[in-house]
Amino acid sequence: MQGAKDYLRQLAVSAPGLWVLIAGFMVLPVYTSFADLPFWNDIAMRIMLLGMASMGLNLVLGFGGMVSFGHAAFIGIGAYCAGIANYYGMDNGWLQLAMALCVCAASGFVIGYLSLRTAGIYFIMITLAFAQMLYFLFVSLEKFGGDDGMATDRSDFILIDLYEPLRLYYLILCALVITGIILSVLVRSRFGVTLQAIKSNPSRVEAMGLVPFKFKMTAYVISAMICGMAGALFTSWQEYVSPDIMHWTRSGELMIIIVLGGLGTLTGPLLGAICFFLLEEFLPEIIAWIAPDYAENWMIIFGPVLIAIVLFARGGLLGACSRLSALARSGGRL
Amino acid sequence: MAATLLLEQAFNGLQAGVTLFLIAAGLTLVLGIMDFVNLAHGVQVMIGAYAATFLAALTGNFFLGIALAIPFTFASGYLLEWLIIRHLYRRDHMEQVLATFGLILFFNELIRIGFGPASLFSNLPPSLSGFVEIVPGSPYPVFRVVIIGVGFLCALAIHLLVAHTKIGAMVRAGASNPDMTAALGVNIKMLFRLLFATGATCAGLAGMMLGPLTSVEPGMGEPLLILSLVVIIIGGIGSVRGAFIAAVMIGIVDTMGRVLLPVLLRGFMDQAAADGAGPALASMLVYILMAVILVVKPTGLFPPKG
Repeated sequence: MQGAKDYLRQLAVSAPGLWVLIAGFMVLPVYTSFADLPFWNDIAMRIMLLGMASMGLNLVLGFGGMVSFGHAAFIGIGAYCAGIANYYGMDNGWLQLAMALCVCAASGFVIGYLSLRTAGIYFIMITLAFAQMLYFLFVSLEKFGGDDGMATDRSDFILIDLYEPLRLYYLILCALVITGIILSVLVRSRFGVTLQAIKSNPSRVEAMGLVPFKFKMTAYVISAMICGMAGALFTSWQEYVSPDIMHWTRSGELMIIIVLGGLGTLTGPLLGAICFFLLEEFLPEIIAWIAPDYAENWMIIFGPVLIAIVLFARGGLLGACSRLSALARSGGRL
Repeated sequence: MAATLLLEQAFNGLQAGVTLFLIAAGLTLVLGIMDFVNLAHGVQVMIGAYAATFLAALTGNFFLGIALAIPFTFASGYLLEWLIIRHLYRRDHMEQVLATFGLILFFNELIRIGFGPASLFSNLPPSLSGFVEIVPGSPYPVFRVVIIGVGFLCALAIHLLVAHTKIGAMVRAGASNPDMTAALGVNIKMLFRLLFATGATCAGLAGMMLGPLTSVEPGMGEPLLILSLVVIIIGGIGSVRGAFIAAVMIGIVDTMGRVLLPVLLRGFMDQAAADGAGPALASMLVYILMAVILVVKPTGLFPPKG
């Protein structure tokens, strides 16, 4: 019992920022209901879902050093699992989730097995190719709406009545908490440490008698499953699914979120997701304030911001935070 | 009838292929030599297409428009390299992907502000809008023949430039050992900048020629960019010869797939569904081809030696 308590404490300490952010999401609905801003709950759900997917991708990208440019495919597979189940009248949300997890594990296994034979730029491109393949597959499925996508019925999470507005919010939050716990445990485990060792020096790990491929595969499949879970919940939330969810720019978006927050950290992806969507919400308003005609052209600011982040902000927002706190501790001396 | 249709589609595929090659040539050299992943290469296609359409409308002459647009795209590539790209060579691939993704967002929005979100259309001059009979009895657009011709000429020029000139030798030397080449007195940074601008011009030229065939719109470069990434991966990064073969292969597979797949699908589903699913499945073909090739040969078909 004592051991378990210690372990939990260690987990909390390993990524305090993550739990602070999650606590923030927990109390947000209280604020939005008092301030009468239900619209913000929707934005928060979007942030949590894409934050969750980014956390999944980060296991591969940040901790494993595998630059996958096709993780949107797994969000799409998860979303379509829920959507297609719904189309055939199976609206049990738990079964939809389970299906999404299984299908994503299987497809993650196949795609990972084929892609991980390559490395470097070839790996980036082959993951992109698989994502494009699946994107066009869903575009071609006229039965499920093709290009336009299809509306789905509300998923039925037995025992949790989604007609109550906030139920889905807390369901998504639960999924986020579970993802956070799984990832913190994984990253601290033997498996996670080996994965990070493979990132910095694969041949040494191999010389120790371990097989890097197996570790990479495992990480890839787990991250695919996390993205799939986010995708299935995405369908429940939007009550709509279209190939748009797995467009290649979405894979780029996930990478942006991770790098913005802090690559290879537990807190980074969620922090990045929050900042990304706040930027997306507020940049148009700020521009509208300065130059009303160009409010919808906010990308013209966002593009250069992105370049600046890559060029100047090593370690993302978290890196900047820790540099600032180091600066404060040293009393302003560098 | 069926045979001439197939032949015509083969020509269309060839035309798509050489256009892809023009885009991929710059991409493969930049990636192979500077180890730089440039997602913003598609932007050059768009800049070329807009420049040519705009300048042609301004001067009232299609050829003059293209003649003016070529130095313009060269200058834009030169400037872009100087402003942004050169700071990214030493970064890792993911950072390059993200920064150039930012460039895409910026330029697409810039074009949207400048020219509006709607597509521009341009008309071909009468001298290019006719038909020729390559095969007796089936007229084929002159313009597409011109594109094929220009594409082949450019491919030849690039091959000669890289393989048989002093500049090409310097580029190849710079690729295998930049420090040593610089120590021998070659201004390697300027060389890379000119190479980048030349690649941008080739991509721009592809955009100029595609302009009258497709719609000129913001974001038009990205689908082409992804296809040309497929091309250079299949061809082997850094190999101009590989890029050419892969581009023609992809062009023909894609075009023929779009024509043949719906016909094949009609065999076991109703016509409307087949016509809907065919083109999308044909789009998958290209990526399936790439995945198969990478699984069998993880560094592409013609990886450059050394």
